[in-house]
Amino acid sequence: MSSTELQAASAKPATAVPAPLPAPLPVAGARGVAAGLPLTGIIVWALLLSAPLWLPLIGGYTALASRVVVMGLVAMALNFLLGFTGQMSFGHAAYFGLGAYGAGLTLRYVANSTGLAMLDGILLGGVLGTILGALICKRRGVYFAMITIAFGQIFYYIAYSWDSVTGGYDGLRGFTRQPIGVGPFVIDILNNGTLFYYFVLFVFALATGVMSLLLRSPFGRTLLAIRENERRARFLGIAVDRHIWLSFSIACFFASTAGALFALLNNFADPTSMHYTLSGIIVIMVVMGGMRTFWGPLIGAAIYVVLQDYISSITVNWMSFIGLLFVLVVMFFPRGILGMIKQRSAP
Amino acid sequence: MLQLVLFNVTNGLIIGAFFVLMALGVAMILNLSNVINFAHGNFLALGGYLAYMLVPSIGFWGALIVAPLIVAALGFVVERVMVRRVYNRDPVYSLLLTFGLAFIIQDVCRYIWGVSGLPLTIPDSLSQGLSSDLFFITGYRVFMMAIVIVSVVGLFLFLRYTRLGTRIRAGTLDLDTVAALGINVRLLRSLNFAVGIYLAGLAGVLAAGQIGLNPNMGDDLMMPAFIAIIVGGVGSLTGTLLGGLLIGVASALTTTVMPSAQEAVIYVIMAIVLLTRPRGLMGEEGMLT
Amino acid sequence: MTMIEARRVTKTFGSLVAVNDISLTVAPGELRAIIGPNGAGKTTFFNMITGFFPPTRGEIVLQGQDITRTSAQQRVKLGMARTFQITEIFPELTVRENVRIAVEAADGFSLRVFTSRADTDRLAADIDAVLAMTDLSGKADRLVGELSHGDQRAAEIAMALALKPRVLLLDEPTAGMGEQETFQVAGLIRRLHKQSSYTIMLVEHDMRVVFNLADRITVLAEGQMLADGTPAEIAANPAVQAAYLGEAH
Repeated sequence: MSSTELQAASAKPATAVPAPLPAPLPVAGARGVAAGLPLTGIIVWALLLSAPLWLPLIGGYTALASRVVVMGLVAMALNFLLGFTGQMSFGHAAYFGLGAYGAGLTLRYVANSTGLAMLDGILLGGVLGTILGALICKRRGVYFAMITIAFGQIFYYIAYSWDSVTGGYDGLRGFTRQPIGVGPFVIDILNNGTLFYYFVLFVFALATGVMSLLLRSPFGRTLLAIRENERRARFLGIAVDRHIWLSFSIACFFASTAGALFALLNNFADPTSMHYTLSGIIVIMVVMGGMRTFWGPLIGAAIYVVLQDYISSITVNWMSFIGLLFVLVVMFFPRGILGMIKQRSAP
Repeated sequence: MLQLVLFNVTNGLIIGAFFVLMALGVAMILNLSNVINFAHGNFLALGGYLAYMLVPSIGFWGALIVAPLIVAALGFVVERVMVRRVYNRDPVYSLLLTFGLAFIIQDVCRYIWGVSGLPLTIPDSLSQGLSSDLFFITGYRVFMMAIVIVSVVGLFLFLRYTRLGTRIRAGTLDLDTVAALGINVRLLRSLNFAVGIYLAGLAGVLAAGQIGLNPNMGDDLMMPAFIAIIVGGVGSLTGTLLGGLLIGVASALTTTVMPSAQEAVIYVIMAIVLLTRPRGLMGEEGMLT
Repeated sequence: MTMIEARRVTKTFGSLVAVNDISLTVAPGELRAIIGPNGAGKTTFFNMITGFFPPTRGEIVLQGQDITRTSAQQRVKLGMARTFQITEIFPELTVRENVRIAVEAADGFSLRVFTSRADTDRLAADIDAVLAMTDLSGKADRLVGELSHGDQRAAEIAMALALKPRVLLLDEPTAGMGEQETFQVAGLIRRLHKQSSYTIMLVEHDMRVVFNLADRITVLAEGQMLADGTPAEIAANPAVQAAYLGEAH
């Protein structure tokens, strides 16, 4: 019997007591985005804009900052779907990877243009994600997660087997990011790491700006409603499946944007950027930073990138530590950093 | 020519058998506890490695029996200590947990036994081919198929006729009612998890005899296991069985015609099923989650 | 023309016949109560009217339009709003935010990214109106999850009203409530009935609420209709008396 039939068939007692409401998670969502944005946003942007200044002082380097921003973007992209619409995608790295390959293939085979590379990367991941989203938007929960993983692995498979085009397991090489010509000026993002960092930050600003706009709009509130109580959303006449599809599509477009930047960062794209291992890592970034907050995933990405960089330099068994990180976060810090802070400060 | 076809079909059936064994283990845990066990392939590897450690002292047959049991016990402990704590929360946490476990177990295997492959010695009685022509139909391969068939049949009998099995089946349909009947649901979940892991460990021992040991040996079976479940229909073990057989056979047949598409055909089948019959071959209407 | 009509509606789950050949009509503006003991099929019947699942046989008609195969979402757009036995709200949002989502959904704003000043003001006015109707204006900025059961039900009804429905379907609105809260919710329903043109269908167990509010009562038992009439007729019906009115609440 399906769950609806089970529910219908079981007799309800006359004095049915409403089920106890779940323990409240840190307040986020429509109010959270608006409330969180001012202070957290100011701090975040201050740190991001000045990163090339203070990062070297603590042993960091600019490329690390670029990596944090790129991973932060893909984590925020996933959070759009996971944290704000409440749907579990565990195959999101695929669209990240598609963005990377799109940009890389464009630079290698088509034209020496950063702009075109970015566009192609964004479109490749975004359009494919939109098409696939239509197939899965009726599924929920772990089944939804399983299918997203399987779809992701299809792209991984294509990436490593179509080696004449993609370079197979070794990855796609033979391209570099190109300086950007703006009128009479040339922004040398190829050789100047700092300039490239600000380019990445610029794209990040555009993307997160759009994201914020979407989340504060009626559309964003509808996504929240779906997350909070899908049945109630359905019975308010909301086309739930269609909204989930749209949310998935948007999340894929943002992820592929990050992927395109990633290819430009490394001058390289390889299949591991599509594997579900990376998908899982993106999820842990989101959860570590705070799944239902706007800036949480960026913070989670920063922690992960720095940690992984550090640990892999001192031990060969860094995978155990990453695995341990997953386990510890899940068991002891499920709300994530920003989530815990918000909870403390909530009235 | 016939020999080539038989060679490929034999390989395909073996692979299909492993798909089924793996998929059933993942499905058991998924159906009752709503958890995708990302670490399943790693428990498989652990089973193989434990057998490797045990063979010198209790021989292959002993290891075949004992190693899966040890892995199952380990699975039981993992479920009790960790997985249990995240059942009542958003499912994303249980997924992340098994994800992390996968990393840990894989790295531990790598640390203890090294990165390069290790052989698992199998008894001489099993290693010979049936005939010089059909050299690839070794005793071991027949043995593997037999064990898988016995295990699958055993699993279905267990679920159908034992008390624990019946409770597990009831639990996958309606866990609340099972709890209301006074059955210890927590223990049920732990035991069910252990059964699923047992299947992984068993697959590991069998696979080790065939392809040797390495820390990633279970990885290639994870996606086929998922796809077998999707194709067969979530919630139905019979469906999973059929799904595993279907993709295994399809993969085998494709190898005879176009070897490079051997893996792709599995994804194609999944795509076709999702487009035409989204609930899977034997999935039920309304089983969307 | 009738507002809602059920024609020979039947629902079977395998061999279990939950609802057997029920026909009824509800006039516009009427308050109809559906009563009956546990297992009578009331909620199943309700679920078919609201589109939770389709009937095995029979038709559901809304103001002359056959909606038997229409989805639940579509029925909302056609003017049906319902509340559930276990209150379905957004517990971690404020009352105002709950109603806001409903108002935006009703006005077709769910997919919009930009709203003009005029639209925002109009939506705000709609929200305030609904809050006033349900007496929640003073509690608008509290989290719904923290309110009393009575207020939560009022909030759920507010969301239903925000949809500007023709028909309100309330499934056991006073379920699990004490005296005070029952009084509060019943009062709200009466106000809605007297002061506006909503057609209201009510599944209820509390007989005081039923007999005080209903224009007509339909009695179900074991999936079939036992009786259908005015409160006076139902009260006088010996079969109904025997089976149901002796049941303590």
